[in-house]
Amino acid sequence: MRAFVFPDRSLARHAGQFVWLAIDIDNTANSSFLVKFPVTGTPTLMVIDPQTEAAVLRYVGSASVPQLEQLLRDGAEATRGKPLSAGVEAENLIESLRQSRDLENCAARALELYPRFAGTASGASIAERGLSCALRIPDQSKTLALAKAVHDEAENPRNALIDGDRAALYLGLVAERKKAKDEAGMRSIREQLAAFLEARAAAATTPAQRASYDFYRVRVYRELGQSEKSIPMLEQTERDFPTDYVPTLSLSRVYQTMGKYDEALAASDRALARVTSAAKVMVLDLRSDVYAAKGDKTTAAQTLRDAIAFNESLPPGLRDEGINTMLKKKLEKISQ
Amino acid sequence: MKRLLILLLLAAPVVAYGKEVLPFIDNDYEKAVARAKAKNVPIFADAWAPW
Repeated sequence: MRAFVFPDRSLARHAGQFVWLAIDIDNTANSSFLVKFPVTGTPTLMVIDPQTEAAVLRYVGSASVPQLEQLLRDGAEATRGKPLSAGVEAENLIESLRQSRDLENCAARALELYPRFAGTASGASIAERGLSCALRIPDQSKTLALAKAVHDEAENPRNALIDGDRAALYLGLVAERKKAKDEAGMRSIREQLAAFLEARAAAATTPAQRASYDFYRVRVYRELGQSEKSIPMLEQTERDFPTDYVPTLSLSRVYQTMGKYDEALAASDRALARVTSAAKVMVLDLRSDVYAAKGDKTTAAQTLRDAIAFNESLPPGLRDEGINTMLKKKLEKISQ
Repeated sequence: MKRLLILLLLAAPVVAYGKEVLPFIDNDYEKAVARAKAKNVPIFADAWAPW
């Protein structure tokens, strides 16, 4: 959204209707905000009534320009006590069921609601979220029906999704083929996704737009066993954003995947020098993985201890208990 | 949990805001509340992550 949606000049007419607030969830300055408004996924878009300081609208996920405009209309109405639009309400219901791990209901309600919103961004979102629930329950019929809906939305330009959301649909289809143990099917969808992402990245008009495809391209090339294809684009992103830790962290991971541990550590050094936020936990965790892969368990363990100590030093709202548990398990395993 | 997921899927984009269109306030909720009260408009918040 930061590369394609918020800079869209058609949104200028809304500039005076809201006060616009960007909250980096890794920035310790945002601790009290994150305690007040817990974030379960990014981006989380909210409309907040400044008088009551209550979020009258919450939406987890990205939005295209038309979707964002709907959210703005809904948010303005919600401050006057009006209900959300049917599509946003339906998306939020499925997301809520998914977050609460009510997977049967999530899949069932997604199947019920999808036909009403088919061919729209809400329909795509309902199908994709519903499929992610269905993949974790035994009922194969719901998985197949939702996979068909996701496929239809992935191939339907009328829903006008942003490219990241369309990529997420393809990844949902990969997950469905994985559950079916269909290696050829997985590969075919990944190749289709890679071609889509390359074409879109080639059409990008700003470095930020081009870099916004890195996340999905790195992932799909790793899953195709072609991680070397990620290196030139990440190096380009590092040149375009020389003070940013993110491309160097990604490079480190790519080199680690390729077994090039010295290159992975060199990239990690650069990431560590640039990261100034809670994301340092991620940098240290990956760095520990590289040391472990090199066979240096002592440094790997110390790096994990550093990551745990740093995570525990973070203020409320940024300290992540889930990651702490995971890091401690890794430390226990590596110390055996 | 959100960061845990990203650790598993790592490799993310770097992007910049188009502040010339929507005048975002960065990382200052109190300032946003004060300004929204003064203008009598709601706050639109984008809780995002750089990765």
